Amino acid sequence: MTLELRLAWRNIGRNLRRTGLTVAATVFAVFLVILSVTLQHGVHEKMVEDAVRVLSGHVQVSGEDYLDQRTLEQYVEVGPELLERLEATRGVVGVAPRVVGFGLVSKGSSTNGVAVFGVDPEREGRVSTLPTRMVEGEFLAPGGQGGILLGGRLANNLGARLGDELLLYSVAYSLETAYELYTVQGILRLPEPALDRTLVLLSLQDAQTFFAYGNKVSEVALLADHAGEVGPILAELAGGVRGSDGAALAVHSWNEVMPELEQFIFLDDAGAYIILFILVVVVAFGILNTILMSVLERVRELGVMLALGLKPGSIFRVVYLESMMLAGLGLLIGLVLAIPTALHLEQNPIPMGEEMAGVAELVAMDPVVTFVLHPSTPIGAALVILFVAALAALYPAIKASRSRPVDALRSL
Amino acid sequence: MRARIVLWVCLVATGAGAAGAEVALEPAPEGVDARAIAARVEDIFRGRTSFMEATMTITSPRLPEPRRVSFRSWDDRPEKRSFIRILAPPKDKGMGFLKLHPNLWNYIPRVERTLRVPPSMMLQSWMGSDFTNDDLVRESSQLDDYDHSLLGVDPDQAGRRAYVLEYRPHEDAPVIWGRILSWVDSESYAPLRQDFFDEAGERLREQHFADIRDVQGRPFPHSWSMTPLDKEGHETAIEIHAVRFDEDFDDAIFTKRNLTRAQVRGLGK
Repeated sequence: MTLELRLAWRNIGRNLRRTGLTVAATVFAVFLVILSVTLQHGVHEKMVEDAVRVLSGHVQVSGEDYLDQRTLEQYVEVGPELLERLEATRGVVGVAPRVVGFGLVSKGSSTNGVAVFGVDPEREGRVSTLPTRMVEGEFLAPGGQGGILLGGRLANNLGARLGDELLLYSVAYSLETAYELYTVQGILRLPEPALDRTLVLLSLQDAQTFFAYGNKVSEVALLADHAGEVGPILAELAGGVRGSDGAALAVHSWNEVMPELEQFIFLDDAGAYIILFILVVVVAFGILNTILMSVLERVRELGVMLALGLKPGSIFRVVYLESMMLAGLGLLIGLVLAIPTALHLEQNPIPMGEEMAGVAELVAMDPVVTFVLHPSTPIGAALVILFVAALAALYPAIKASRSRPVDALRSL
Repeated sequence: MRARIVLWVCLVATGAGAAGAEVALEPAPEGVDARAIAARVEDIFRGRTSFMEATMTITSPRLPEPRRVSFRSWDDRPEKRSFIRILAPPKDKGMGFLKLHPNLWNYIPRVERTLRVPPSMMLQSWMGSDFTNDDLVRESSQLDDYDHSLLGVDPDQAGRRAYVLEYRPHEDAPVIWGRILSWVDSESYAPLRQDFFDEAGERLREQHFADIRDVQGRPFPHSWSMTPLDKEGHETAIEIHAVRFDEDFDDAIFTKRNLTRAQVRGLGK
């Protein structure tokens, strides 16, 4: 075995230019794979963090079936104990109870269908970025104020300005008609046009009065320290969260609340992985080519070795070790270059160009490109490269081990 | 061939079973025109014009006791206009609904505001009931927006022999139902029951008609009930206290002016 190792190592050193090129190709592949996966993760995690901060939160506690039905019928009877319990859950940084209902808003002759969110003005800012999205006026104050906030496009469609009186009309939980006049107290700009066209905010207390909802809320949104905490939070709450009335509640993670976001990420990842797969295949052929050439060049040498009594199995191993050494060397250098680079980028996100930054700001994103290096990324890259090299080396190694001394003689 | 017929009969039978006919249907007699029956039913319900005074009772697990809403309605089919005035409960007294095709306005006297109900809200609950805005103002027509076929005869629908009709909407009809099954008394042509299905074929609600009494030669049901099948424990019943058909209405009823003059006029005719 040691003999085979030594032979293989020497063979690698015999044609330095070829070895260098193959190793460089592998280094390049490893570097590219790790950095692009790091970028994928970074962009997607930021996308999720931004999206959950618009409204949904990382985790939502709601009545059973709320996600399917979204009516006042599904509710959480909420009391201080429930909120305290959720706030005390490890990894939770914010807890926001909300009433969500639908209704009509009317000003003069224009009427719009709207989604009414009753939010706790003190808690909401710890979960969503709603309070930071004011473009005009003041955010809601605690208690019942009779103030209403509108999404920017909705305000436009209604022709509503600060101080205008609007009629909000719906059906309450008591199945009575619900109608009330509210004063426009502020206008928000929301990143999603559909939300910007339909969102109406009331204080939690006003919304509960309007919908005759008592101490009920539709959902309690939780913000985690980061998306990685979602799993542990779900695990801790899986024991069963109950409302103050003892009703069992459902706990959903962001990807259940926003399945379309998860699907987008899945598709985007799929596209990226296909490109990376092609890259890896190219590298595999590079290794295959190098080793096959060196085997074909050494017909005579291999013949002599066989004539001297080296077993075909040994020949196979020598050639196989050569390719694994090439791949291993490339992999090692690749990791040494890629990991610090990825870590550096993780610490120092790349600012977007001015044009992109404008777009990002419109949708209230930080105008930076982020990278996130998970330990699984370099490990995965290493395993893939080694596996592919192991596969690519098979053919030349088998070919070498089947050489016959007679052929070697003839090639003289 | 025989096997094929048996199979076909089985398929039809399961189809009818899935459609919610509790008993097997007898084959329809020859020479019965489905559309003519549907036209008869539409006429019994609406006439050329109709005036009604009614009380709606909403039952729901949410409510400790049923909610009652009384109202008067004027429906003018040829002119495609209708008017509804709420009489009770006190909170909603004087509220009015005015439909002048294709618009629907809602007046709320407590806040002295009129709002136009957008088309997207036509299928929302009317006054918290299991009826929709569309049910009340009947924007769509069960006669003109649907194709009608006779499925058979139900020998015992609430004690009567009933034709079972199937209504399927025209391609571009402004309706949300995938189909409607309609039970019609085979002698008097009084409507007995209607089941509403979505486009996926799922039965969403059941409407029953009872207390059929003669009104101007029409067998008119004075008791309606609507049961949404996706909301357990919910039901809305309408008791009709008075109904008159084919009167000539004063044009002044169907005006925004009348809509906002809750207390003064328009409550009676």
